[in-house]
Amino acid sequence: MAIAGAINRRSAASRLVEAYGQEFVVLGAIIALFMIVGAVNPRFLNDNNLVNIFSGNAYIAVAAIGMSLVIISGHIDVSVGSLIGVLATIAGTLAVQGYPIWVAWTVPVLVGIVINALVGALIAYFRIPSIVVTLGMLSILKGGLISVTGGTWITNMPPEFFIAQARLFGIPAPVYFMVVLTILMALWMRYASLGRAIYAVGGNPEAARAAGLYPERTCVLAFAMHGFFAGIAALLFATQLQVIQSTVPPNLELTVITAAVIGGVSILGGTGTVIGSTLAAILFACISSALVFLNVSAYWLRAVLGLLILATVLADMARRRRHRAAGRL
Amino acid sequence: MTSLVELRGISKSFASVRVLQDISFDVRAGEVHALLGENGAGKSTLIKIMAGVHRADEGEIRVNGELVHFASPRASAASGIAVVHQELLLFPDLSVAENIFMGHAPRTGWGALDWPQMRERARDLLDRLQSHHIDVDAHVGSLSVANRQRVEIARALSQDARVLIMDEPTASLVEEDVQQLLSIVRLLRDKGVGIVYVSHKLPEVFALADRVTVLRDGALVGTAPIGELDERRLVSMMVGRPIDQLFPKQATKIGAPLLELRSLSFNSVVRDISLTLHAGEILGIAGLIGSGRTELALTVFGITPATSGQILIDNQAMRIDSPQQARDLGIAYVPEDRGLQGLVRPQSIAENISLTVLKSLATGGLIDHRKEETLARESIAKFGVRARGPRQIVQQLSGGNQQKVVLAKWLATEPRILIMDEPTRGIDVGAKSEIHALMSALAARGLGILMISSELPEVLGMSDRVLVMKNGTLVGEFDRAQATAEAVGAAMTLANAAANSSGEAA
Amino acid sequence: MSRYLLRHEAILAVLLVLALAVLAMQSDRFFTLDNLLNQGRLMAEVGLVALAMTFVIVSAGIDLSVGSILGLVAILLGVFWQKLGLPLPVAMGLGVVVGGVAGLVNGIIITRFRVPPLIATLATLALYRGLAEGISQARSVRGYPEWFFVLGQGEVLGVPTQLWIFLACAVIAAIVLGMSTFGRATYVTGANAVAARFSGIPVDRTILLIYMASGLISGLAAIIFVSRVSTTRSDMGTGLELDVITAVVLGGTSIFGGRGTIIGTLLGLILMQALKNGLALAGVKGDGTIVVIGLILIATIIISNLVRRDADG
Repeated sequence: MAIAGAINRRSAASRLVEAYGQEFVVLGAIIALFMIVGAVNPRFLNDNNLVNIFSGNAYIAVAAIGMSLVIISGHIDVSVGSLIGVLATIAGTLAVQGYPIWVAWTVPVLVGIVINALVGALIAYFRIPSIVVTLGMLSILKGGLISVTGGTWITNMPPEFFIAQARLFGIPAPVYFMVVLTILMALWMRYASLGRAIYAVGGNPEAARAAGLYPERTCVLAFAMHGFFAGIAALLFATQLQVIQSTVPPNLELTVITAAVIGGVSILGGTGTVIGSTLAAILFACISSALVFLNVSAYWLRAVLGLLILATVLADMARRRRHRAAGRL
Repeated sequence: MTSLVELRGISKSFASVRVLQDISFDVRAGEVHALLGENGAGKSTLIKIMAGVHRADEGEIRVNGELVHFASPRASAASGIAVVHQELLLFPDLSVAENIFMGHAPRTGWGALDWPQMRERARDLLDRLQSHHIDVDAHVGSLSVANRQRVEIARALSQDARVLIMDEPTASLVEEDVQQLLSIVRLLRDKGVGIVYVSHKLPEVFALADRVTVLRDGALVGTAPIGELDERRLVSMMVGRPIDQLFPKQATKIGAPLLELRSLSFNSVVRDISLTLHAGEILGIAGLIGSGRTELALTVFGITPATSGQILIDNQAMRIDSPQQARDLGIAYVPEDRGLQGLVRPQSIAENISLTVLKSLATGGLIDHRKEETLARESIAKFGVRARGPRQIVQQLSGGNQQKVVLAKWLATEPRILIMDEPTRGIDVGAKSEIHALMSALAARGLGILMISSELPEVLGMSDRVLVMKNGTLVGEFDRAQATAEAVGAAMTLANAAANSSGEAA
Repeated sequence: MSRYLLRHEAILAVLLVLALAVLAMQSDRFFTLDNLLNQGRLMAEVGLVALAMTFVIVSAGIDLSVGSILGLVAILLGVFWQKLGLPLPVAMGLGVVVGGVAGLVNGIIITRFRVPPLIATLATLALYRGLAEGISQARSVRGYPEWFFVLGQGEVLGVPTQLWIFLACAVIAAIVLGMSTFGRATYVTGANAVAARFSGIPVDRTILLIYMASGLISGLAAIIFVSRVSTTRSDMGTGLELDVITAVVLGGTSIFGGRGTIIGTLLGLILMQALKNGLALAGVKGDGTIVVIGLILIATIIISNLVRRDADG
């Protein structure tokens, strides 16, 4: 009995560190980056620049929340960039054509939910691998967007539309979205049984079914929520500048996936947290800004992302092998 | 007393193959009811019916006297029936506590998951199972197999299971863990849980069970209190005929040594194995599951190359680092898991048989399909494979015929050393004796056969010599004359094993 | 296995004939020798990569990095020739070799580090494209000598050069996949890699070679592509993986591995190209075309899954 007590009395702090190891690593990397780049080029720590980093890239963190859900559930979505492009265009078009602002804000989110729920259904009920469905969806959305709009820029939207440029207590709205949504989702994924179901289904779908869960419905739910976050991200993205380019932001899906993966979401499904992906998204924003302040060409950004994914995945595989080997003892 | 669960007249068929015929079975509170039978006898289907995974075609199920219909596993669990599966269904990246309560976690007033409650109750359950050392926050994936099993048992208890079905629970456990598991089972029994214990390990059954039910070929052979049975009687109930009749091993002249292992080891799983296999000899390797026999085979065959020791073929030391090398040296391995390791099920008989000898069927890298088909036809004839033709998909064949295809595949390489791992598992009795006859004939032709088997009658009937493995080492060696069920069985199970030299039975 | 394929390829062949008939009726510009040969020219790059992708998918893998390898080799071609001053033929050969190395890296990550092909090639998709962007700094290379353009824009005996190359590679690929021991090893690896290993098939070596071939051929496609459009840019090949995977899947190769033929892929390629051509002749722009391709990809897999369940069930 004494032993049992001792084990459970392992401090909450040490449990926290072990459970959130990866997240702490990313946080450490952010701090380190700030210190190093700030030392080399103090203008990096400028107020303006900090606002840019956090506010301008908040939409990536929001999108990464949704992507984390999808990856944890055991799937992947390479179409999120195109989806955001489409939803942003819808938002802008509705605003320009005089619809009430709340319409211009909610319709894209709803469309995002519906499209992705459909994708989730195709994956879950028709058993199509998620890479294939989302690869197809990527072209349907991208091609559709450019065919319909011709890539024209949307301008002259009413000023109330620009939610991303609002400020509360001096802090830009996107930052609030990012922080609040991350915290809400982190809580949901920890304390809601549907949230835990996503982990279960991603970790071992068969065991999930045997435990009385519903893998198919859970998959659709994860994708639908992903659509919701894509919609919010699209709004933030669309309202950052005075114009909306009806194109697909380049690199976006890769950045979002990388954010999730580096934040500790294992690409094999079953683990990871949204706090990690948000921190990682912030890390990238910092890296990309740092490149500018260190006078490194921005064209190397994608190579950096690729290397980071590779390194994280290799580390993840090595960690799993170590765990499995230990399990055999 | 009323049984906790009672099955009456249960019959079940899968696609016109009758798997269970008129089975009656019941479980009482506070008893361990062992369910025995060879592979293919229907044990697994019966359990799945109790667990709500399958629905019986005929018959009825009663829980506490009331008629029930299980539409799903959830319904069965709600009735108080829990299953500890052979392949544990757990979530490796989630904590022990969460695994235990997945699907029925305690909630707070607001409907949120109550983690402190979960951890506390998990701790309590594990303590009740004498598992104080398992950390409720640990990831299940980092636990050993034995500990993972305890988590599954705790999970069953967390749902107030009145009936616990354990399917081959000691299949992957090493000896010390087996003993601990047995004491957990006794603990549960004493608390009034009814336990269905599926196993083919007779020593455990005799140590644990209150009653025994034997199935054979889908039919009920009988149910009896353990006190009325002895091992011989039990085996004949399972097998259906006196043991000696089953195994037509011809006497053969034992020739020169083909394969010699000297202190062969693979990490700590295979330890210091030394043996010699001669031409014309069938060397049986007996042992409980987890004793390292398959691991030994995989080391000799090159899947998990040896970490120390020597392998000698025809008295020459060889390094075997891959199955290709093993094959080229004349070693063949008919694996334990036929479906996954032995066959490519969606492909045809011809494509499966030619897999090991592709190079010899090809000229200039291109496969000669006529040669391939001829090989397949010859094999089908030689081994008596009942199939429509060489192009038939292997998935459609019966277990016995599938095994013949695997055998044919390897014999096409003209091996001199044949390792057979559970050669007749999951095969009906008729095909069983065909396979045994084949093995006998091969030995007579001068092959050396290493036969790994968990079916004691088969080991005793077919082997010229019997080796016993336990925990990765050799613990006994018997000539055909000395090898009796008691002697071999004792060597397999006793904690202090017999000496290694032949002739000293435990 | 053969019965299923024959059914799928037969359906495909019928669809193809129908499509060609419809297109011929829609526009009298379609069925001219000129147009057909030109379509063949345009099809060659996707076609070459699709040949290798057939092997990849049959082995139950996937290679998302082919487009990025193409882009990288295209850039390096310019770098080798213009910056480093190497003679153009050497630069071309070196480019193809780099493609092979890129594919080899994929293979090593997959076999040695046991990373699932999806993730490995997703990461290298980013890495290789990133290298292309970083090395090129968005500058393009121009001014190749005349003879270079014969490859992509010229003809031999009236047929576009790259079409000859593609046909030759198609024949080789068909023979290797359908008739050789390596092809058989590929099928078995996709159908049941464990049993393959247990039967003495060199599974890891097979996978390594398949991904290396995929990279090599992407490199070759890059050279042809540059020759066809007369310039090199770092975004070349973006979206190639979609076209290629769609063609292979359309051709009857199962995304789960173990089934598929080169002939099927060829039929899928031709059908896709015919569709693209038809759409173009009807006035639909390139972006509209990829919508159709995406829809076809999803539809094909849905249909093939439903058929599979009938067959297995």
